[in-house]
Amino acid sequence: MSSFAYAVPGTKDEALALLNELGSGARIVAGCTNVLPDIRAKKIAACTLVDISKLAELKGIDVRGDRVIIGSLTTINELLHSDLVASHGQVLWQVGRRFADPLTRNRATIGGNLANASPAGDGVVPLLALEAKVIVASLAAEREIPVAEFLTGPGRSALQPNELIVGVSFTKTTAMRSVFIKFGMRKSMAISLASIGLMVGLDGDRVEQVRIALGALAPTAIRARQTEDYLTGKPLAPEVVTRAQEIIRTEAKPISDVRASREYRVHLAGVLLKRALEAALA
Amino acid sequence: MELQNEITVSVRINGTQFTAAAAPEESLLEFLRTRAMVMDVKCGCNKGDCGTCTLILDGQPVKSCLVLVAQANSKEVWTVKGMALDPLMQALQESFATHGAIQCGFCTPGMLVTARSLLADCPQPDRAAIKEALSGNLCRCTGYKKIVDAVAAVAACQASARVQGGRCRVWKQQ
Repeated sequence: MSSFAYAVPGTKDEALALLNELGSGARIVAGCTNVLPDIRAKKIAACTLVDISKLAELKGIDVRGDRVIIGSLTTINELLHSDLVASHGQVLWQVGRRFADPLTRNRATIGGNLANASPAGDGVVPLLALEAKVIVASLAAEREIPVAEFLTGPGRSALQPNELIVGVSFTKTTAMRSVFIKFGMRKSMAISLASIGLMVGLDGDRVEQVRIALGALAPTAIRARQTEDYLTGKPLAPEVVTRAQEIIRTEAKPISDVRASREYRVHLAGVLLKRALEAALA
Repeated sequence: MELQNEITVSVRINGTQFTAAAAPEESLLEFLRTRAMVMDVKCGCNKGDCGTCTLILDGQPVKSCLVLVAQANSKEVWTVKGMALDPLMQALQESFATHGAIQCGFCTPGMLVTARSLLADCPQPDRAAIKEALSGNLCRCTGYKKIVDAVAAVAACQASARVQGGRCRVWKQQ
């Protein structure tokens, strides 16, 4: 007899009731692109797999007023083929073609990428830049958590055992230019050594507003707030970019691991910022 | 709500319904190879890296080691064998053979399924698009150039076949 159990709720409320009952004995599964390898590697032990993949309430991409709302079961491939995402959340759309590989993108969901809370998660970097909020439901209530607060550590998030990510929302952002750069060892199927999501509003070459999100450069994906503050109001002259690179290198707090050393990643933070700013100006 | 320690899964595999008991954490790949004895779906890395287990689920190519078999219940699955009579698949198989796009052959079923899916959706991909589409399928013999050549030849041939209304046959360019 398997040490795992399986349950497939038909509605969101059924799922929430089950999570409430099972607590940390439940493991939510959808695309399974992280969960199945983790089960095989014995990182996940006996639990009940709560399959949310049938929940219609968690699907679809919608616009309500000035907000774009993306259901947590939306796959990366669906994001890539969404005109709404391409025009209103371009930096998220840009990630699509760099995320894992085309086959995995057909299964992996944006909610799963958030729940996995990897410091190198490619889906969370653009959501940070978009100042997105994670919509989280429990039986008692629904709450919205800014992505920056949702991510609490490597593999850790603010999600409680009785809660379910139902979606993610952000304000339409058509006026800013967006750039996403992933630095991996391959073009495809790579885990980021470092990544950057940049959104910048320019008046000529002068920065009116800028948001910089970094992946794999700290215990969670982070915003480079000091670099943003420095760049705001300045023209993107070479000496300004050089100074911004110095600042972003102090903001990056990466680790050394099998993919890259700490020093190399710090260096990459500066390189990626320069490349992203150049791409935004082009 | 019912918690099941053993589940019954019924999948339509290459047009034939197959039903068997399965474990809750079982992947579609394990189910196919150990219960349905569908051996043309290869098990390489078993953790989503290599793409040898690629098949069509819900009309899309996916890595079957990353699909919980419970999620394939009541669904339709197509593997390379099930496409044996499909003209596009036949053209690809012929092209792989004539281009020598095969060394040990282990990645070939997955490569073919992914390539067919690409050409069905996008009949005229350039080399970059072919490489991107196949980027989730690893060839351990690193025979990528010939694989891309083989797919590109079918794409080119499809274009001329449509013009002439004939069947697509691929001959290696000398």
